[in-house]
Amino acid sequence: MSVLRTQLAGAARRPSRLLLTGLAVLVASFVVYATVLARDITKATVLDGLSGTPAAVDLAVGSSPDGPSALVTTADLAKLKALPGVAEAVGRVEAGGDVGGQYLSVVADPGSGPLSTVHVTQGAYPSASGEVAVTPRTADRMGLPIGSTVSMTTGWDDDGKPTKHAKVKVVGIVEASADYGFSAYAPQSAVTTLSGENTLQQVDLRLNPGTDLDSVRAAAENLIAAAPAPKDGMERPKVSTGADIRHQEAQNAVSELDEIFIAVGMFVAIAVVAAALVATSTFRIVFAQRMRQLALLRAVGAGRGSLWRALAVEGAVIGFVVGTVGVAGALAVGHAVPPLLRAFDIDVASPGVPLLPALGVVLLSTVITVLAVLAPAFTAAKVAPLEALRAASTTAGRKDIGKLRAAFGILLALLAGLSAAFVVMNLPGRDTKDYDPSSMLLTTVASGALAFFALMALGPVLVRPVLATVGWPLRRLGPLGRLAVGGVGGAPRRAAAVSVVVALGVTLIAGVVVTGASVRVLADREMATSVPADYELAANGDERVPAAVLEQAKASPDLTHVTPYRRLPAVKAGSAEPTLQASDLDMKALPTLSKIDVTDGSLAGIGPGKVALGGFATDVTGLGVGDTVTLAVGKKKLQVQVVATLPDSGPLQSDVLADPADLTKLGAPATASGLLADAAKAGEDGRTAGQKAMQQLAQGRTGLGVEVLADQRDEANAVLNGVLAVVIGLIGLTVLIAVVGVGTTTALSVVERVRESGLLRAVGLSRGGLRSMLTAESSLYGVIGATIGVLLGVPYAWLFLKALGVNAPLELPIGQLVGVFAALVLFTALAGVLPARRAAKVSPVAALATD
Amino acid sequence: MYPQSPAVVPTTSAGAGPDERMTAVAAVDLVKVYGTGDTAVRALDGVTVGFTRAQFTAIMGPSGSGKSTLMHCLAGLDKATSGRAMLGGTDLTVQPDKVLTKVRRERIGFVFQSFNLLPQLTAEQNITLPLDLAGRTAERGLLAHLSEVLGLTGRLSHRPSELSGGQQQRVALARALVSRPEVVFADEPTGNLDSRSGAEVLSFLRNSVRDLGQTIVMVTHDPGAAAYADRVVLLADGRIAGEIDRPDRAAVTEALQSLGSHQ
Repeated sequence: MSVLRTQLAGAARRPSRLLLTGLAVLVASFVVYATVLARDITKATVLDGLSGTPAAVDLAVGSSPDGPSALVTTADLAKLKALPGVAEAVGRVEAGGDVGGQYLSVVADPGSGPLSTVHVTQGAYPSASGEVAVTPRTADRMGLPIGSTVSMTTGWDDDGKPTKHAKVKVVGIVEASADYGFSAYAPQSAVTTLSGENTLQQVDLRLNPGTDLDSVRAAAENLIAAAPAPKDGMERPKVSTGADIRHQEAQNAVSELDEIFIAVGMFVAIAVVAAALVATSTFRIVFAQRMRQLALLRAVGAGRGSLWRALAVEGAVIGFVVGTVGVAGALAVGHAVPPLLRAFDIDVASPGVPLLPALGVVLLSTVITVLAVLAPAFTAAKVAPLEALRAASTTAGRKDIGKLRAAFGILLALLAGLSAAFVVMNLPGRDTKDYDPSSMLLTTVASGALAFFALMALGPVLVRPVLATVGWPLRRLGPLGRLAVGGVGGAPRRAAAVSVVVALGVTLIAGVVVTGASVRVLADREMATSVPADYELAANGDERVPAAVLEQAKASPDLTHVTPYRRLPAVKAGSAEPTLQASDLDMKALPTLSKIDVTDGSLAGIGPGKVALGGFATDVTGLGVGDTVTLAVGKKKLQVQVVATLPDSGPLQSDVLADPADLTKLGAPATASGLLADAAKAGEDGRTAGQKAMQQLAQGRTGLGVEVLADQRDEANAVLNGVLAVVIGLIGLTVLIAVVGVGTTTALSVVERVRESGLLRAVGLSRGGLRSMLTAESSLYGVIGATIGVLLGVPYAWLFLKALGVNAPLELPIGQLVGVFAALVLFTALAGVLPARRAAKVSPVAALATD
Repeated sequence: MYPQSPAVVPTTSAGAGPDERMTAVAAVDLVKVYGTGDTAVRALDGVTVGFTRAQFTAIMGPSGSGKSTLMHCLAGLDKATSGRAMLGGTDLTVQPDKVLTKVRRERIGFVFQSFNLLPQLTAEQNITLPLDLAGRTAERGLLAHLSEVLGLTGRLSHRPSELSGGQQQRVALARALVSRPEVVFADEPTGNLDSRSGAEVLSFLRNSVRDLGQTIVMVTHDPGAAAYADRVVLLADGRIAGEIDRPDRAAVTEALQSLGSHQ
């Protein structure tokens, strides 16, 4: 035990060293506990802002959650309202209709009082039938300011001809918890009048204060049971308490959160593994530096076992301390951030103090640190007592790896290569119909994991060649660069240990960046077909777009790339049975169309007598590029050559993309079937202006409809960007720990090489020069790690994409990868700045005197 | 060669001052105090001494006499508390770190007891390190001459770990001399060497004074090593305690013993 006491006394004497050793684990504990708190915060915030049943609802009558839909009628509402003890009863129902080609939803709401979900910001809440209040975005998007009156189509016959109309007047603007841009609110009676049906989705009841909930509930249930049974497929409504409904709603909202946080937990787990790797490397360095002291303990009679145990206990103590500090730090930040955000009007709830997870994190930190310390402690305890008597204090360390480790590493690399080769052999072709990606994806991930373990085993051997390559430009820079490269290369095991962790982070980020870029191109391609422009103005049925409208569109300052198109719905190609849809959309007119992918040929070849065919058309006709075919509409016939084929259908669901002259020859009228246009200005304002301009085109003309296609594209882009940002942020945790590892390694190397620093200063290296050299060494860890990471991440991302079987293109986003690389080099250089400064401050005499 | 019996000669009075033309490096009333208050130690207590150009001088004295401190101050490695440390016409005690760095790089060479070679550089890279740092290239002729004289010709591409102690110290000697410094300071250069290697190193220092006109200041407590010098300066309790011209081992040993008995 005295050995242990010596060790612990040593650790206590230098608490900063203790923290430095456990810094990576400290950061990991911080991250883990911060995640726990973030989950708390998100949960509380979601529950606070839940746009569900208002808190004032005591009882709700309607469908039971997850149950079959129940029928509640306005008659039920009247009876429920009359029950003794009921202060207020509100029917929830939604109606809707077409306003100027766009859907407007009208939601029933009392407009004021505790059961309301909206509040009026301008004008008044509607009181009469035919009046509505709209949300701000709706007023903007649909052109419905206060005072405007529009006609709303609320009923259609089986052929889609409008049969029912209602005049709607906007009397107010209301804020609701969510604003999708097509929402209006009105009292329930007005909504019922609008829909013309007496059904409700739900009735919410508020009781008088002091009323017994159960007795009212029983009365309501009796009332429901007394009513005649509803028609087929409908159930009698259930009576639930507001508390139950809110609980159910909260559960539903939070269960999604739990799923998200499980995914977050996976990334946090990778970061924790990275922290363990960093800690192992750190302990190795620290013990190597204490070799003489350990040897001295052995020389004066300490047993190998007691030395080993002492070192392991030291690890446990460090783990416990840094775990506690990490948890405390996360707690401080977690409780400081929400009030700060609230000061900026961002409504975020504060977390509590989850005690059990806190203890768990401290335990986790202790366990990880003990695991990290085991192997280094075992090696350190093997020190020969004679080491204590050696004069040289250099901790040169081994530069090679053992035969067993090398064999194991090569085996892992072989397995990784074999599994990757297996995936390559079984990759799907262009036709992915019968392909099941899950097993191939799993094999790819397994191969990646094996490759990483191989990297860990073979790291020290790989560092030298990588260093020789990436260090070349640095060495050319002069003696400082040579010294820095030499300094890192002098301890390859150490360099490998820390670089591998950097590589882990970079591999993941490079993988995500490459996958993201490829998926984006894939999405753009598909979007180019389904969303060729921001807006579409289409004529319904046999209607045409008048030439005047086209001129008006071209003249509008809010629109650009105005492109008319004509459509021929039933074209026969050769002898093939199904008819095809042809259009003469100019493929060069809209910038988005240039993203469309071809299977074969080129869309630029479209011209008189030359057409492109969509996937369906090639399937039914069996035609390919270079073939000729006769197109026919009725008696009109035209021979054309295929110059391009598309993987899916063309833009505007066209099967045949042809030249306007050819379409005219086949009998298409001169006026356009529709037109596509982009917003002239970027941003939300430009979008709204363009949309208004499009609606003006359609206004007062029958059969013209406007569609805002861009919203679809924005939504898809936003989702992709959001997912990428979140995933990269989460991988950032691993990178953060890697950077901490680089900083720790540099700091410890600097302590160990203080003599070397002193000598360099003595032979004339300036303070700034020494700083640059040590900072360069630190950034070299980043360079090595980032190089290995990119080399590993990009191919695996490509393999992953191929294995997905979605015909995604293999993109190499060089700009982004260079950015990742540069960021890593910068971060690792920054991690070395502090240790380098400290080393440069030491006077050469003191450095040389250090033994 | 030098028939008169060497003897401890009292130091010249402080007023005499070092001759600028003949003196490569000199200390004038140099004081160095470590620590403050009760724990303050006067490592140098008003030392005035000059080291003649193209001469091999040994500084000797018991442990704690301040000989290493004197050398560090004269080499611009350490700042004196007061007094002047003159290298040529430059007072090193008033120079900023930047100038001192340049001085160490261009005008001073060092040889240390524990060699202090950089393990990641080859012998040749170690030798040319000060020149590289100064952005200069080595004089090929001088480098070849030094390698040959020091017996390093076949070992220039070796790393320090592949060299014996004697070879490492000879690399360090070449490093100190290759930039043609005004002064080479050697701090116990034979302390970690066996007697044969030590003798080689000392002979080389001796010869470089003769062949290259090099000025050498060596700190040692080995009377045998001091006997290679032209002159021995004795230090005790941070003060000059005498000097011996053309020393031999017996005279140095005797002088050191008398210093010890005075304490």
